[in-house]
Amino acid sequence: MLNQIPTILLQSSSDPALAEVKSITPKTFWLPEGASTLSSEIDWVFDFINYINYFFFFLVVGIMFYFMWRYRQKGREVYARGPSHNTVLELGWTILPTIIVVVIFFMGFKGFVSAKTPPESAYQIDVTASKWNWSFKYPNGATSTDLYVPAGRPVKLVMRSDDVLHSLYIRDFRVKQDVVPGRFSSLWFQADNPTEGEEFHWLFCTEFCGTGHSDMNRKVFVLPEADFGRWVVEQGRWLDKINDADLWWKAGPQLYRACASCHTLDGSIGTGPSWGNYDGSGDIWSRTSSPSSQHKIDGGKPISDIIGPGKEHEVPEGYLRESILNPGKHLVDPYGNVMPTFKGQLTDRGIDALIGMMKNLDKFDATGKLISPPDGAAGAPAAK
Amino acid sequence: MTTLDSRPITPEVRDNYLTFTRGLLSWIFTLDHKRIGVMYLFAVLSSFFVGGVMALLVRTKLLFPGKVEWMTADEYNKAFTLHGAIMVFLVIIPSIPAALGNFIMPIMLGAKDVAFPRLNLFSFYLWVLGATCAVWSLLAGGFDTGWTFYTPYSTQFGAGGTIPVLVGVFILGFSSIFTGVNFIVTIHKLRPPGMTWFRMPLFLWALYATAIIQVLATPVLGITVALLVVERAFNIGIFDPSMGGDPVLFQHFFWFYSHPAVYIMILPGMGIISEIISVHSHRHIFGFRFIAFSSIAIAIFSFLVWGHHMFTSGQSPLMNVVFSAITFSVAIPSAVKVFNWLATLYKGSIALNTPMLYGLSFIFLFTIGGLTGIPLAVLSTDIHLHDTYYVVAHFHYVMMGSALIAMIGGLHHWWPKMFGVMYNEFWGKIACGLVFVGFNLTFFTQFMLGSQGMPRRYYMYQPEFKIYHHISTGGAYIMSIGFLITAIYLIYSLFAGKKAPANPWGGASLEWQCTSPPPHDNFATTPRVGDCYDFSAVRWDEKEQGYVLDTEAHLAAAATGKGH
Repeated sequence: MLNQIPTILLQSSSDPALAEVKSITPKTFWLPEGASTLSSEIDWVFDFINYINYFFFFLVVGIMFYFMWRYRQKGREVYARGPSHNTVLELGWTILPTIIVVVIFFMGFKGFVSAKTPPESAYQIDVTASKWNWSFKYPNGATSTDLYVPAGRPVKLVMRSDDVLHSLYIRDFRVKQDVVPGRFSSLWFQADNPTEGEEFHWLFCTEFCGTGHSDMNRKVFVLPEADFGRWVVEQGRWLDKINDADLWWKAGPQLYRACASCHTLDGSIGTGPSWGNYDGSGDIWSRTSSPSSQHKIDGGKPISDIIGPGKEHEVPEGYLRESILNPGKHLVDPYGNVMPTFKGQLTDRGIDALIGMMKNLDKFDATGKLISPPDGAAGAPAAK
Repeated sequence: MTTLDSRPITPEVRDNYLTFTRGLLSWIFTLDHKRIGVMYLFAVLSSFFVGGVMALLVRTKLLFPGKVEWMTADEYNKAFTLHGAIMVFLVIIPSIPAALGNFIMPIMLGAKDVAFPRLNLFSFYLWVLGATCAVWSLLAGGFDTGWTFYTPYSTQFGAGGTIPVLVGVFILGFSSIFTGVNFIVTIHKLRPPGMTWFRMPLFLWALYATAIIQVLATPVLGITVALLVVERAFNIGIFDPSMGGDPVLFQHFFWFYSHPAVYIMILPGMGIISEIISVHSHRHIFGFRFIAFSSIAIAIFSFLVWGHHMFTSGQSPLMNVVFSAITFSVAIPSAVKVFNWLATLYKGSIALNTPMLYGLSFIFLFTIGGLTGIPLAVLSTDIHLHDTYYVVAHFHYVMMGSALIAMIGGLHHWWPKMFGVMYNEFWGKIACGLVFVGFNLTFFTQFMLGSQGMPRRYYMYQPEFKIYHHISTGGAYIMSIGFLITAIYLIYSLFAGKKAPANPWGGASLEWQCTSPPPHDNFATTPRVGDCYDFSAVRWDEKEQGYVLDTEAHLAAAATGKGH
């Protein structure tokens, strides 16, 4: 199982011709086979409504065809005498549907309550949707573009969007929830049966989001709990697999996404100081590395007071590293002590990647996207 | 108009509204509700053609699961958006009230015109202006937001023609409001003596209920699209969270109009069906009051259910529960109508003319459309079905299979009255059959696609869905052949059709008592009103090749309450 994962990750799921192979395809005209604990609660309601619908459809259409034939016009005979109303009958066919729909409402209500009440013990995965990507982040910091979940354990997805509305839909689990910019939404499910080999469940975006809307489909793999544990640890080491030289542009922007909600890149005002030039003292690397920097910290002190040979930090990297792991130690004017520590969440390689990105800020656009990849495999250009 | 008084209209004068005055200007500046109705009809059917071409483009693309050379994802998005927006705003909303209703309503009521003829003409030109904005939008790069204009896509992204089309929708909204106001006042104030509320044909009840929704709900659409324009043009944050707005608020605003709007589309269709079923089975409508009040009930409930479009949007679960519960209340008046139509067939003398075939198709298709609304109203099953082809299939069964089929049925029902000619019955039936079969092939397969989880608005799809898409597209082609045949024989009939009698089907409501086509001011004298569903005084006349109504016997029967 585990040794197959890297090849699965490499497959592009946006090309339908490639992707058909192992998806679990529906075997009936109606619902695909359910694969979560919710699906059994929902499917019987759907089937029940269908049976009621078949009954009323054949009743109405049967009567209609019978009358069409039985009371067809013969010759030019015109006037037909029949009852023009019958209060008992009419009340009957008003009240009977009322009773049926009230019953159906409560059947659907029950399933909905289950779908909206995640168990306390649910395993949380953070989901970020953007045009036209899904990013799944696991509690240990591992990320993936396809969704991996442990079998037999409730999983809660906490979702946000970077741009427009999206909607996360896993049809075999019968779950769907819009992903709305500016707020968090969530859904939960529990899939008891692991997917076999390369088999997977489809995950679709179901809220129209532009050009790549139909490309926003990914795969869901359900792994046995032990395999999942190993997978998520392995996946957490993704940083280790990147060459030192490529770290700043391969890993940097990905890690920066966690910083982006407070620190802008273009100098515009955010919750924390921008990495770009916002106070006239240059971007984050030049204002910390220049001995003549006018950047002020801790209530008016120039930053050069603490950076330099023999000072608190020998090199600027030391100051930047400390600002990530112990952000309250020195505060940039006029910002307060707001930033949480990233100790335990970021490895040294992760911090290296971020600092590498800071040194090459001019190669990124305002959203943190690399403007053009560095030439060949030459790796990072020399730091400024 | 001033010439009207100087020109005595007597039954012997075979002058009609088409020949009353001549020349292009006499049409452009006409205040005659019938001519305005005909102009609307032409405009709406032309838009229907354009919207239909867009639908065929979309369906043809969907023959292929992957990318195609001749249509990019962006072009596909524009095509389905244009299809939806044209069909909703330019076709279905004005089709029955503004086109058929404008023509038939005052005659059915026994009035000479609508209450405000100038407003009526103005509302038509607003429609033209709105449609022009849609063309402007195409020149400015089209729009690709879906007909629902969801934010923040529509305000931050979206193609260059988004603002023009929003302006167009704003203007079309006013066109709709003015028609609604006009109809409400006409029905209240211009009823002749004897035309009591319960003597009024059910088509007019339906138009009245529709007009109430048009007047009360459409202003909200106007405000909403105005706010969208403000946000998109001036970056004033209303719906965009990055500027402090709330995208879900937009959905509330939008559906507060657009849910009632689906009843603006379907209610007049139901009214037409009540007429068609009763007249062509020559049988008193069953349960007049239940049908009449169910129209009003639907109009009222329609305002309370908008949240069922948003079960997965992130609105609070409590609201989902409340909206789901109220939504079921709409099912009941709809069911009542279907049962009453069935009971009207009972012991009738059913003539399977083209309009009746459309009427019976309506019962068939609306039953499917209505019943498949149930799993969408149920909270737990809607989570699975929301935003899939199941929804697409459901609303096409209701909006096209019902509202538009009713419109086509009504067009055939009143065509002899409107233009004084009969179309070819044989080809009428063939075309109706093709449309019926094609429609079911197109959209029934989409229920299966949706149940199996195929999301809507997808340019590419998984190959497992291919067979369903192929059947669906095939159905769409069959349906378009049906519509093409309809267009041909209807246009042909205008030039070479047999002259229509005043009363070809045996109706007893007032429009069948004036000539075909009607004279300029409808009635020479104030008409006397009987029970419009009492056919006891209707006889076939060989010489006329049509039915005749013995007015005295008809009025006598109404006075004594006989004839039911």
